[in-house]
Amino acid sequence: MSTPPEELQELERRLVGVQFEPRASLGAEILGRFQRGDTGADGRPPFWRRVRGLAAAVALVGLGLSVVGLVALRTPALASVDHCCQDFDGGGDADDGLLVVTRKGSEVKRLAIYEDRDGSRSFTPADVVRFARTGGPMLHAHLLPGAITTEFCCLDYDGGGPDDDALLVVGLPPDRIAMAAIFERRVPPGAPSPLR
Amino acid sequence: MAPPSAHSAPASAPSQAIPEAGALCRAWYEQHGKAVYSYLRFHLPGADAAEDVTSETFLKAFQSAHRYDPTLGEARTWIFRIAQNSLRDYLRRSRVRRHVSLGGMRDLACQAPSPEERLLMEEAVGRLLNAVAELPERDREVVSLRYGSGLETAAVAEVLGIREAAVRTRLWRALGRLRHLLTDQGEP
Repeated sequence: MSTPPEELQELERRLVGVQFEPRASLGAEILGRFQRGDTGADGRPPFWRRVRGLAAAVALVGLGLSVVGLVALRTPALASVDHCCQDFDGGGDADDGLLVVTRKGSEVKRLAIYEDRDGSRSFTPADVVRFARTGGPMLHAHLLPGAITTEFCCLDYDGGGPDDDALLVVGLPPDRIAMAAIFERRVPPGAPSPLR
Repeated sequence: MAPPSAHSAPASAPSQAIPEAGALCRAWYEQHGKAVYSYLRFHLPGADAAEDVTSETFLKAFQSAHRYDPTLGEARTWIFRIAQNSLRDYLRRSRVRRHVSLGGMRDLACQAPSPEERLLMEEAVGRLLNAVAELPERDREVVSLRYGSGLETAAVAEVLGIREAAVRTRLWRALGRLRHLLTDQGEP
């Protein structure tokens, strides 16, 4: 009896289809920590505790902005915007692309920064996703010394038409992205810009 | 061949044995890293937490490599038991919420032809893993070992220390409960 009963086979097929890939550099990172004599995470606060305060603040800001956004909510169809290639991660090579899934001009559903591994100058399954987020903005990891913050302005990142959107990226050279956010640059200088 | 827990891992001096230990460790990670990570990902709501516990697992394994006895079992079984201990320690320390946040699955292996389809697939997987998170601990463990890490039932039996037939029985029951949960949530 190596297969489940017939009524469970569809569910098994769905579960078999769920596969996760660790970040490509994770193995080298662990080996490096081992060789430096790192004894593991026992002495380090867990991830959630490290970013809990920050995440709560970011979530509150995201929630507030979402409420404002809901007032004027219209729901046009999803579209994707793919911009390649620039040096988003501070690694030195202009080999990073930005992929945005958006409701045109109103809301960024997904923001991903990828490394254009296959040189196609667009996102393909062969590329490595360095950062991804949906919904509200978030800090993906605790900030480390050496992080480089860059603002790219202005292009049509949200698919709305005008080139009025800016992209803010916090990169950890050579190949990690700590945070990314898209905001609209149509407000007077100094005033807070609406995050997309 | 008991795997070390977070509290019993010996403070060895890894840097003295780096050349040969390094090759062994690299081989262990290459052979089992993805399976361990994917197993943990079925238990944890995000890639960051899974990376943390994967790192902890392999650091413990590397530090205790001198205690591994191949005559007593496969390295895979030993490493997965370390992963189970590391996961337990992590959950106890951090009180992680079990529910998976929809989206943000940057580590999902997916051949979706378009970003929109990938988003839809991520949402479907999120709902599936949320249902897995609702299962009792024992069910969740067998589902994660079998489908998360992709181990065959015989290998799952080795890790859990039970007979293969018992693994299958436990697995089919867990799938039955999972199907009920999904049906209750309106999934087809």
